[in-house]
Amino acid sequence: MRPENYKPVQHSASHEYELYFGPNHPGIEGNYALKCVLSGDVVQSLRADGGYLHRGFEKIMEERLWIQNVALVPRICVPDPVPMEETYARAVEMLGGLEIPKRAQWIRALMLEASRVCAHLFYFGGHAATMGMYSNMFWGVTDRDLILDIFEEITGARIYHMYITPGGVRRDLPEGVLDRLSKVLDYVESRLPEFDNLFFDNAVVINRATGVGTLTTEQALSWGVTGPNLRACGLPFDVRRDDPYLIYDELDFDIPTETAGDAWARTLVRREELLQSIRILRQIIATLPKVGGPIRCALPNPLAWNVPAGSVYARTESSKGELGFFVVSKGGAKPWRVHVRGPSSMHAVHVLERLGPGSRLEDVAQIMFSLDACPPEVDR
Amino acid sequence: MSKGSFLRPLKALAYLGRPAVTLPMEPRPAAPNYRGFHVNDWEACIGCGTCAQICDNEAIDMVDIPELKADPLAGIKPRRPAIDYGRCCWCALCVDICPTGSISLSREYVHVGPDLNTYYILPDEKGIHGLNYPKGWSKSPDADLLDLKRQTMGEMEPQERLQSFAEMVAGFTPEAALMEASRCIQCGMCHDACPSHMHAPEYIRALWSGDAEEAVRQIYRTNPFSEVCGRVCTRRCEDACSLGNRGEPIAIRWLKRFAMDSLNHEQVRRIAAEGRELAPSGRKVAIVGAGPAGLTCAYDLARQGHAVTVFEALPHAGGMMRYGIPEYRLPYDRLDDDVDVIASLGVEIRYKTRVGHDISMERLRDQFDAVMIAIGLHKGRSTRVPGTNNENVIAAIDLLRDVTLGVAVDVPKKAVVIGGGNVAMDAARTLARLQTRAYGAVQVELVALEPADAMLADADEVREAKEEGVVIVNSRGPRCCIINGERLTGLETVRCLSIFDNQGRFHPLYDHEDAQVHEGDVVVEAIGQMSDFSLLGDKLTEKLDWNGPRPRIDQDGRTSEPWLWAAGDMVEGPDVIHAVAAGHRAAASIHNEIMVREKTP
Amino acid sequence: MNRELESLDAVFREMPDLKVEHTGPRRTRIQVEADALPTLLELLKGRAGYLHLSAISCVDWPDTEEFELVYHLWSYQVSNLISAHTRIPYDPGRYVSVYDLHAPAVYFERDIHEMFGVWFEGCPDQEPFILTEWQGPPPMRKSFDTVAYVNDTFEWREYQPEWANDPSGGKG
Repeated sequence: MRPENYKPVQHSASHEYELYFGPNHPGIEGNYALKCVLSGDVVQSLRADGGYLHRGFEKIMEERLWIQNVALVPRICVPDPVPMEETYARAVEMLGGLEIPKRAQWIRALMLEASRVCAHLFYFGGHAATMGMYSNMFWGVTDRDLILDIFEEITGARIYHMYITPGGVRRDLPEGVLDRLSKVLDYVESRLPEFDNLFFDNAVVINRATGVGTLTTEQALSWGVTGPNLRACGLPFDVRRDDPYLIYDELDFDIPTETAGDAWARTLVRREELLQSIRILRQIIATLPKVGGPIRCALPNPLAWNVPAGSVYARTESSKGELGFFVVSKGGAKPWRVHVRGPSSMHAVHVLERLGPGSRLEDVAQIMFSLDACPPEVDR
Repeated sequence: MSKGSFLRPLKALAYLGRPAVTLPMEPRPAAPNYRGFHVNDWEACIGCGTCAQICDNEAIDMVDIPELKADPLAGIKPRRPAIDYGRCCWCALCVDICPTGSISLSREYVHVGPDLNTYYILPDEKGIHGLNYPKGWSKSPDADLLDLKRQTMGEMEPQERLQSFAEMVAGFTPEAALMEASRCIQCGMCHDACPSHMHAPEYIRALWSGDAEEAVRQIYRTNPFSEVCGRVCTRRCEDACSLGNRGEPIAIRWLKRFAMDSLNHEQVRRIAAEGRELAPSGRKVAIVGAGPAGLTCAYDLARQGHAVTVFEALPHAGGMMRYGIPEYRLPYDRLDDDVDVIASLGVEIRYKTRVGHDISMERLRDQFDAVMIAIGLHKGRSTRVPGTNNENVIAAIDLLRDVTLGVAVDVPKKAVVIGGGNVAMDAARTLARLQTRAYGAVQVELVALEPADAMLADADEVREAKEEGVVIVNSRGPRCCIINGERLTGLETVRCLSIFDNQGRFHPLYDHEDAQVHEGDVVVEAIGQMSDFSLLGDKLTEKLDWNGPRPRIDQDGRTSEPWLWAAGDMVEGPDVIHAVAAGHRAAASIHNEIMVREKTP
Repeated sequence: MNRELESLDAVFREMPDLKVEHTGPRRTRIQVEADALPTLLELLKGRAGYLHLSAISCVDWPDTEEFELVYHLWSYQVSNLISAHTRIPYDPGRYVSVYDLHAPAVYFERDIHEMFGVWFEGCPDQEPFILTEWQGPPPMRKSFDTVAYVNDTFEWREYQPEWANDPSGGKG
């Protein structure tokens, strides 16, 4: 709500009070608000309030050429933009019946996993910060920067790469970048014991996060939870494994799970996933030099590219869960409809509103962050 | 599950002893591929505006730069892109689509300033602050967004071609036409380069969207000879096409042909009649010569409601399009279609009526509100080297006319053609066909003054002529025809060292030591044509202002006589599309003139 | 595995009017009449293990004055995605909520209500979420013209850069 539109409400005397948590709050990821009704410091009810980052992407995408949307999609999710590029591109490829060259597929998988590592490093820092522990956040962001350097080398941009396009990728890898990525991965891996000392083996953190925001397996399934949050409830579902895309069925990786379903389990799952992503990246680094060929299939002139009519639903496992793009073409030069199923839209609204009641005020931020809710992607 | 430790986090205190992470104040060097501020090489940039078209944020405006030279024939517009960094998102699609590769992103990425106007830049090769930062993201063949390869089109094999005068190219299939049309970036260079300013971007886009009817409508806005120009146009448009900078230009000519082939004749007639003035103006215009200039003029004037009569000396309309262009390049029934569309607007064509013989120019002047002459260049020039007065030394244009008219031609077993232009190719290839029919073998030698890399004819024509067995001998000038008794037996040539003097005037230099004999029963001269102005009569010839061999005309095509206009090859040199353009100009001028004038009684 | 696949066939046998099409690996498209869709979803969930409602998408088709609703359902057991397509007319633009079957539907139905103006009977929450202060028509409808709205609402910035005085900068 815009400040000028805020009208104080006179409530009748009660033991309950209403508290706006956000939209400008250090414990909130992005601009997002939670309207909490509290009694003491126990949340009675919670309403998610989005829209502060609404840019109308789905609408704008209908106004733009197929290729132009490449510049738009990564902006849907700031911390993990690559899956957005990948899923949009793949949806267009499915519509157009395009066969992407092998090399492009491997490069795209590399980008996706590197982005997952970034997002998880960000996540640990963020999760710790919601408990008031900022060192972890500085560490995570600093280490993530090393991967951003690699992104910059490959794509010419650090955050919004606009690199994956329908048909492949836009540039081949620069000389020696795989070696440098390999060194960064070694470094990130070597940092994990230090993260463990500070965070994962920290008794205070474990105490603060255990039992917070607990999801049962049944709740997780019926509330539409996906991704690491679902795996933290003991369900080993992963789009990369169940609905494989690119070259994921040629990769060797585990799907880590935890059973507790609470904030701590969600963080532990991600710690394991970070290692799995490093494992995948090492396989890609070993394989990519052997995969030659073009990095993009032949495409028509993007100014006059009619994508065949039809509709597809493309899915990707992002760091936050299941990402879906439902793309409809009427056979024209622009998409007729693009519906983005943001991975955290379900977590940040539906799940959070149900997990919140009964928790304590100081845990609200932690619950939100442990679900890895990403407001820009909820708002789109 | 681990309960964790209270002490292990304290290990992080070791960081107090480590140096802090600090970064230098100056900007960190960006990656070699970085997408920073734009740079644009003004020399390479052609101002096509494709960057502005692809820009997903409308961050690019094309700014007119009056000081730059416009060169429509070379496909250069005097404008350059300006970038609004309030909108740019550095996606670099502008770089990946740029037809010339002039625009790149640099490795410079810091700009700070309170004045928002400084965020709107007109990039040159030095960058936003003139600091000459190295290029970052620039054109890569890996992922060029443009489709630089032309669609292929079926054509007959040389042996098959030689058997007849059937049209040798097949025309695009619908799929190929769609793909070819989709390559167009809509920059409009073709429109500017075309003498008649045809709406090529519009009709190509219409074809791309599957609307051939709309394409033909766009074509007819500026050209009633679209069947013809879809086949034999000199296509300045393709020379100017932006895609030609790094790849193959759009096959605009073949797309036009495809559009015309897609509709039946009735549909074309209906489209041509759309928007015509139905009420007669009461004005009458006479046009001498039913070639492209004359009939285009007739078409425009008829559409404006004027009564137009065209006088044509020969039995069919078309002028040089029919009597100069061989049928394997332009099937005459397609020309007939174009003429029929024009006639269907009420244009009267009087065939076999030779002005100056059957009716005088003075009569036309008295009976009509205006007169336009467009008589073309139907008289062949001669090299006038010794022996050219032999009866077996003929003009290419006469040969081509006779073949079209169906006059029996004595087919020489061996022939020599003098000339390196398209008419020479037409003559040589026509002879090749006649020889194949009569003797089953081609023996045509073509001697051209120009070296092989500077032939005047289209490269396609030269290639196809060679494929058909025509032997092309370059850098040779004729010295004399060899006459044995009365009989012509060949041509003697000498080596041509240079064609132009240092002032650019035609002044060939020969090495007379280097002589060569080309055997032939016939020598065909194809070194240029001129007009036969005898129709004007002595009095009018005397009265008119002349510009060398041609009547002087103003920019609207009007001669020094207020009632007389002239257009086409006779005043501008040989080219169909120029003639069409001149026809439009003359028509506009005539219309303006006669509408303000009193009707001729 | 086979048992579940058979059960999907059993669902199709039970609903003979469906148009079923396998559009790619692990993708099935079903065209279903609007009044039959809830039954289909129930059968898919109850008999064939399609537990996960991945998304509900809405598409505006102004030519026929219809909204197309697409229910994307994933089966964790057989790893297959069913996209069930159905169409409802603009007028009255109402449909039934599938919230009682799939709780996540509330999020998507609320979104579609907000962006397209479709009313879902039985949906527990159709409060504005993103456009809390928006007075205009549902903006995702094709009839809402973004460019016109922008031009009506915002000013285009006029720049007066220095180079405009001498754009050629001596290069002419």
